Amino acid sequence: MVNKKTRPKSRNTPSLTENKGGQLKIQQMAFVLLAITLFFVLAGLFALVFLISGLKGGATALEEKNALLLVTKLANSPEFSCGGSYGSDRVNCIDADKVMVLSKNIERYSKFWGVNSIEVRKIYPEEESLLCTLGNYPNCNSIIIKSGTGYVHENFVTLCRKEQDGGDTYNNCDIAKLLVSYEQK
Amino acid sequence: MKKFNSRGFEMSFTWIFAIIVGIFVLILAFILISKIIGVGNIHIDAKVAKEIGILLNPLETGFEEGKTSSFSIPGNSRIISKCYPDSRFGRQVVAVSQFNFNKWSDTDVDAGFSNKYIFANKTTEGRKFYVFAKPFDFPFKVTDLIYITSASDEYCFIGSPENIEDELSGMNQANFFTTDCREDEGIIKVCFAGSSCDINVKYDDGSGSVLKDGETMYFETDALMYAAIFSEFELYECQIKRLMQRLDSLSQLYMDKIVFSASKGCDSNLNPELIQLSSFASSLSSSNNLGQIKAIVDKAEQVNNRAGCSLW
Repeated sequence: MVNKKTRPKSRNTPSLTENKGGQLKIQQMAFVLLAITLFFVLAGLFALVFLISGLKGGATALEEKNALLLVTKLANSPEFSCGGSYGSDRVNCIDADKVMVLSKNIERYSKFWGVNSIEVRKIYPEEESLLCTLGNYPNCNSIIIKSGTGYVHENFVTLCRKEQDGGDTYNNCDIAKLLVSYEQK
Repeated sequence: MKKFNSRGFEMSFTWIFAIIVGIFVLILAFILISKIIGVGNIHIDAKVAKEIGILLNPLETGFEEGKTSSFSIPGNSRIISKCYPDSRFGRQVVAVSQFNFNKWSDTDVDAGFSNKYIFANKTTEGRKFYVFAKPFDFPFKVTDLIYITSASDEYCFIGSPENIEDELSGMNQANFFTTDCREDEGIIKVCFAGSSCDINVKYDDGSGSVLKDGETMYFETDALMYAAIFSEFELYECQIKRLMQRLDSLSQLYMDKIVFSASKGCDSNLNPELIQLSSFASSLSSSNNLGQIKAIVDKAEQVNNRAGCSLW
């Protein structure tokens, strides 16, 4: 007769050492899985940082391109251009009177051109630098249409206005620079 | 370990655990990669849309007009043009969707511009696109209108007036035909006489209407005629409102300029016309009313031409 209490253990029931080995394997597995998850999270974060820095760089490059292309054609925009009011039509000619009016009403055009600042600076004939206001115009040489800071692109333009000498009105045109700045993202 | 015995297939807990968590990790990685690809696609779409808008800057014409240029996008793409008339000048929105992995990418991100007026179909599809611009003078220059067509959309202009035919031929745009139109089903027929074409134009010396997809769009000036031909009703009407917003602002700018000019002995007597122009432009509700403004525009132009100092 075989005593039930002393019956050898079934093959399906793990022994204490087998149990410890299994636990160790599970622990190892858990560590490996933790490491894999951590690796994916880190890789994801790295990709995200890379992507965001690329986006910022791309946005700045686009802003720069916008400012660069805009400055070459902004003078022909109807808010700036001389049109036919100074005799024959002129390309890259800015109407100083119009631009002075524009600078006083710039809040209407605050985000219109998508640039940080716009300035027209007379460069010839050379004069002492003086900001234009309604009080000192036209005896000044810098009209700030939109104020702001940033990286600047510039283009040469003609700056024309009407002048009066005695009873006669004539066109006075100077050489100027149109400066447009953009924001770095 | 897999064990095979008389009772069948058996798997240890370690393996089951590893497989379940492995599948979970793989799914996580797959989701992450597809998200990154998705963000990349959105990034490309947004970048291309913004670049299209920026590349249109040089189309601000000097005095040359009617020049055609083209640009290509790698892969089949859709340029989606939207217009919003809200705010001071409204907004022109450009979005791009590209055909990737057998489906069109989502276009949640778009690029907006306040100083652009693009006339195109709501969705223009293709790889190569033609662009041309024309100044809109009403009576002074308001802006340059930009027209975008896909190279795969061919237009045949039948019975066009001589000035329009000359202009179209001079552009040398490969998808415009004024003579010898092919009898092709895909070709879009634009008729200036008759009413059985895809687009029917009633043209009378720069004024008239365009009947397209059962909708009538009214125009004044050739620039708006092209706008009606190449765009769709909703987009056209929205852009007309935006153009009138700009016209209103420019009228006010010229009114202020009169004060400057008058102080230098340059009185142009245009204040009454500009006040009327500003008032009509700000209240215009549809292209149907453009004719009313045209009368004021003509009057203002006459006064300006007669003035000792022209205002524009």
